[in-house]
Amino acid sequence: MTAPQVQVQAPLLQLNGITKVLKGQEEPRTILSGVDLTVHPGQSVAILGRSGSGKSTLLSLIGLFDRADEGQYFLHGNDITKLPERRAAALRSAEFGFVFQRFFLLKHLTAAQNVAMALVNGQGWSARRKRKQQVMDALEQVGIAHLAKSKPSRLSGGEQQRVAIARALVRQPRVILADEPTGALDTETGNLVVEVLLNTTRQGCGLVLVTHDHDHARKMGRVLELRDGRFN
Amino acid sequence: MLSGKFRSALVIGGQGIRARKLRTFLSMVSLFLGVLAVVTVQAGAEIAERAMLTDVELQSGKDGTMMGYIPGEKGAPGIVEATLKGRADAVAMISSKAVIGEPGVRPINEGGMPFEYANRGGDYSGPSVYCDAGGVCQEQKPQEKKPDGQAIEVSMVALTGDIRPFKPFRPVSGNWLDFGSAPSLAPRIVLNEEAAKGLRMYRVPGEMMIEGATHHVSPQIIGVVQDGYGQPRVYLRLDELRTWMPAPAATSELDRFRGGGTGLEVYLQPGSDDLQQLLKAKLVGAGIEQNNLHFRVVNSKERMESQLKIMRLIFLGMAFLVLLIGVAGILNVGLATVGERVEEFALRRAVGMSRMLLAGIVLAETLLTGLLTAALAIGAGAAGLQVALMMFGSRFPSLQGTTFPWEAGVAGVIAGLLAGVLGGLIPAIRAARIPIATVMRA
Repeated sequence: MTAPQVQVQAPLLQLNGITKVLKGQEEPRTILSGVDLTVHPGQSVAILGRSGSGKSTLLSLIGLFDRADEGQYFLHGNDITKLPERRAAALRSAEFGFVFQRFFLLKHLTAAQNVAMALVNGQGWSARRKRKQQVMDALEQVGIAHLAKSKPSRLSGGEQQRVAIARALVRQPRVILADEPTGALDTETGNLVVEVLLNTTRQGCGLVLVTHDHDHARKMGRVLELRDGRFN
Repeated sequence: MLSGKFRSALVIGGQGIRARKLRTFLSMVSLFLGVLAVVTVQAGAEIAERAMLTDVELQSGKDGTMMGYIPGEKGAPGIVEATLKGRADAVAMISSKAVIGEPGVRPINEGGMPFEYANRGGDYSGPSVYCDAGGVCQEQKPQEKKPDGQAIEVSMVALTGDIRPFKPFRPVSGNWLDFGSAPSLAPRIVLNEEAAKGLRMYRVPGEMMIEGATHHVSPQIIGVVQDGYGQPRVYLRLDELRTWMPAPAATSELDRFRGGGTGLEVYLQPGSDDLQQLLKAKLVGAGIEQNNLHFRVVNSKERMESQLKIMRLIFLGMAFLVLLIGVAGILNVGLATVGERVEEFALRRAVGMSRMLLAGIVLAETLLTGLLTAALAIGAGAAGLQVALMMFGSRFPSLQGTTFPWEAGVAGVIAGLLAGVLGGLIPAIRAARIPIATVMRA
């Protein structure tokens, strides 16, 4: 008789006791205080909270835009708390995909060129044909391959946000970090964007969604609320 | 193979330039003037140096040539002629005087002066005194004054071979002396421009009286050259002259003092040391003092360069100031552009671009702008030179055949790159310092 195999899936990312203090003002202000968070592959997490509760700060720490003052950060079990900036840039490129409330598309580039921006970032170089294929696959994934040659000014808000999502997906990241991606969209378009993001979790991608919208939050696997720099 | 970072910088830099054509153009305008100033100064200095060098070479000989001054006494002309006979690596020039025109008259330009100063009076009628080496002086008998007539006086230069490899005479009309053919009984002569001018201005008979010759000769004028001398000169083959002067003259000290007799110049190609030694040995053996044999290497370029250096530095300094204005233009536009592109740069860093590469992109844009401007300025400089040569080239013979100097092109490219780096460095550093969180707070 053999013992049943227990498959323990290692967390995609794990934050332990993360603290962030905002300095440079009259009195240092604690934005995050001992936050713990674990995200597994294919898991989606919604983070709710009022303005100033530290949602975006937490996302910027997860995305290696900034460093925590205290606590530990593990990615695939590796401690990356004090990663040098050069390696952090490489990790941002390889592991994370970012979607923001404003779409941040460069107006002088086409949709395809905006997506390709994530590939032309100095982290390796692939041939033009391969790049083009990757871009078209990403646009296909969000359902706007036919708009590849359109400039942002000719796209609707929902289409622009889907271009931004394609840009986040083009490098096939392990984690998608979305900071209020539906904030500038109407309800219907917002639902569509959330669906597109959720689709990525079905392919094993982790999703951390910062939102004010409880309806969208409920669609995620876990819902966490930040209040005064701590999860309730 | 270019690295991914370098390619990314070029691709994104190119996109940035295309996206902001007007701004790029505006920053190019002031830089264009700066680079053009550098190109013009450099090209001007190079062309001036070459033109001056060409003019100096006409008189002094080409750089590196070994030049010898030999006193025309004790049979030296004959020794030199015999030693250099049939050699292509050395030529001797034997100078004396000749009068073309009516015999027995006072030439229009007595003394072989330029025709500009002829017939201006100022005849010296005082006593002529000669002092020997021991300091004993004695008055000479005044020469008999000849009646005025239709004749011109020229310096006559007899050549043992083709002098042009040593002195690049520029042809004006006709032909140069042919040293390969059999000697002609009627000497073929080539005039310099001043001598040709004399013959054009005055109707003189085609008869030539050569100092020390046995008979008057009827020369054949075969061409005119520019030789860099202001005095009238004629050139002819020494072997054709020998028909009329059979024995090499052994002139006295007195003749040399009076400016008569024979002046001897020898031109040797670089590396002809053996020939030089042989010539010296023969001349010393004939009784000429070693101290009177003067050989030197022509180094006109080195001398001229030191003279031109200060001028060039002054003009380059001025051009650099103009270039700085161009740099300020690029810097101004660069800083404004970085301010406008804060979100773009933050986003690029968010998607994995390093600070270094971001700075590289901004620098790539200014470098590409600088290079493009340099290419335009160099093109404008080269085109301007062609136009200037077409318009004024005929007035300055030394500029004939002038091409745009490559040194000016290199200076333009360096100026463009330098302006790109100086103008792009501060914007690049600013771009690299933009925090990524900017995109989160937007």
